[in-house]
Amino acid sequence: VKTTASRSDETVFIVDDDPDIRAGLSDLLDSAGLRTRCFPSAEEFFKSWNAAMPGCLVLDVRLPGMTGMELQSKLAEVGATIPVIIMTAHGDVPMVRKALKAGAVEFLEKPFQDEELLQAVDQAFSVDRARRHEDAILNAIQARIASLSDREREVMKLVTAGLLNKQIAAELNLSEITVKVYRRHVMDGMQAGSVAELVKMCERAGFPSGTDGRARYN
Amino acid sequence: MVPIGKQLPHYAWQYGLKPSVIAGIFVLVALLWTFPLQHVIAYPFVFLFFGAIIGSAWFGGLVAGSIATVMSFLVVTFFFIPPLYSMSIAKESRSFVAAFVSCAIVITVVSSVRKRAEVAIRNARDELEDRVQERTAELQRSNLEILERERQLRLLTEAIPQQIWSASTAGCIEYCNRDLTKHIGKGADELQGEAFFRIFHSEDVALFRERWHSARVSGESFEVPARIRGANGTYRWFLVRGIPQRAADGEVMRWYGVHIDIEDQQRAQQRLLLAQEDLSRFTRMTSLAEMAASIAHELNQPLAALVTDASACRRWLSAEPANIAKASAAAERVIHDGTRASAVVSRVRSLFSKADHVREATDLNRLILDLARLLRDDAIRRGVSIELQLGENLPPLKVDPVQIQQVLLNLATNGMDAMAESSGERVLKISSGIEGAGTVKVDVQDRGRGFDENTKARLFEPFFTTKLEGTGMGLAICRSIIEAHDGRIWATQSEGGAVFHFVLRAEQ
Repeated sequence: VKTTASRSDETVFIVDDDPDIRAGLSDLLDSAGLRTRCFPSAEEFFKSWNAAMPGCLVLDVRLPGMTGMELQSKLAEVGATIPVIIMTAHGDVPMVRKALKAGAVEFLEKPFQDEELLQAVDQAFSVDRARRHEDAILNAIQARIASLSDREREVMKLVTAGLLNKQIAAELNLSEITVKVYRRHVMDGMQAGSVAELVKMCERAGFPSGTDGRARYN
Repeated sequence: MVPIGKQLPHYAWQYGLKPSVIAGIFVLVALLWTFPLQHVIAYPFVFLFFGAIIGSAWFGGLVAGSIATVMSFLVVTFFFIPPLYSMSIAKESRSFVAAFVSCAIVITVVSSVRKRAEVAIRNARDELEDRVQERTAELQRSNLEILERERQLRLLTEAIPQQIWSASTAGCIEYCNRDLTKHIGKGADELQGEAFFRIFHSEDVALFRERWHSARVSGESFEVPARIRGANGTYRWFLVRGIPQRAADGEVMRWYGVHIDIEDQQRAQQRLLLAQEDLSRFTRMTSLAEMAASIAHELNQPLAALVTDASACRRWLSAEPANIAKASAAAERVIHDGTRASAVVSRVRSLFSKADHVREATDLNRLILDLARLLRDDAIRRGVSIELQLGENLPPLKVDPVQIQQVLLNLATNGMDAMAESSGERVLKISSGIEGAGTVKVDVQDRGRGFDENTKARLFEPFFTTKLEGTGMGLAICRSIIEAHDGRIWATQSEGGAVFHFVLRAEQ
């Protein structure tokens, strides 16, 4: 049996109205060394949820009050990216299809094998991790862009558009020497080893390139 | 009233002038004939004057007769009684004149009385004749009126867009109006005896025949919906209404039949009925499906928990080192889950066998009679005759009458369904009787195809059906009802078809 490498703060959030199911799932995941938190209703989970909590959600579709589907769309509304594993009591095909369309990573039909659940959780965790990693990189790039001065950002925009120092100098009414200095600052500030890397970062962060966006960065 | 001024001259003419003129003419004629005759016939010849008096009295009445008598006396005395040409009468002629006068008076009276009698008779005869003529004219007039009225009525029956017939008390068709003749393409003379029944649809004719017959026996009007074949061979639904015409003493003289076209109504109704059936089948199925889904969910929850707990238990045991405490806790939960699943099952069972039904003392035979009445129309329509053989002195049963009625209805309907394609005689026999001490048995026997051994074993299973559109719940429900009443239901095969039996215990 493959056990998922546990990270200190990764948690499986279990939402099911049935206490026996909650206890069983919690214990099963515990036996695989996973941390769990249980909620008897979608409302309670939504109340205590925040974006900083890493992990995944194991969600029953049939719930009193807010249903699993409603929780899913509510999470999407607030931009939550937590991976969702849907549990159904019996093969309710249209519901499953809807859940998957709404971004559920997996669905499990009760009763299910422990392997199915653990694999699904494993997959959900890697999705979450990948997303969090992605987010972290993006945040870093944006932080670096924010640390640049306005002039440096203007230079970066023209550099990523493929302009030579001479052309940039003409564009910005600066001397070629000054442009060179700014260019060095940009490369350092963005922690880019090459122009190609800088272009990739800007694309990732959605930073515009070219000569026509000048007004926006003044 | 005739005015006095006009009346007076009338009386004067009637009683003065007219008799005088008549008497004068007669006497003058007698006198003129007597002069020449007196030379032929001897001594005073007066017989012609008798004639004059008779004539006057006859034609002029008593007054004219009297005047003629007086005038005759004077003339005879003057001309023919000696001394001649004087009013004196010779002594020897006095007796003759007296006899003459006496005879004249008698003749006058007799003649005038006879005349009057004759006139009276004639008047009476005339009056009678007048009256007879009057009556005849009156009769002719009323006859004409009746004829006219009858013509109008006939015109009316011909004109209204309704089919009408009339029949004798024996059921013999006497008249068909134009609309009926036009629709069925046959006149009254072509509808005698069995031919009349042939205008009805074969499925409806039995019901009509039965109603028509019992109406003629009871003298009550009747109404029966039936399909009637048109001249073009297509059938339409009609409401056939029969109304008796009664004489003053209440005796039925004739029957009138009216056919009211209810095809469109019937079609709409049938559509409604189909829609209702669809709806009820749909709701039954959806509620069944919903119930099944909720039961499945109820049962699935503890089973899912059980599988999860068992998996967890196995994982704790196979860990290195095995965590016995955790495994034991998981196993504990497995037991709990299993118990919970079992509780769901028994809850579902108890849902279908509610023990707190109404139980009241019920006469089973009354239920059977009610059922037979309920099924009467349907049975006639399907060509099934229901035969009842009810045991006497059945003890009252403590049952839920509605549920037992449902069982009877289910079994009877099944029996009729089983005979739907049978070509033989379709008889549904329901019998009741005492079976041992305090136990009542009911048999419902049909003459259908029966069932084979394989079917017999599964008859009462839920969802088992041999019918195309059956739900397979009928007999299963019957069994659960009978068993809830501590009774027993089973089926056997008879030479004629299937027999369903059930027994119920009579509780004191």
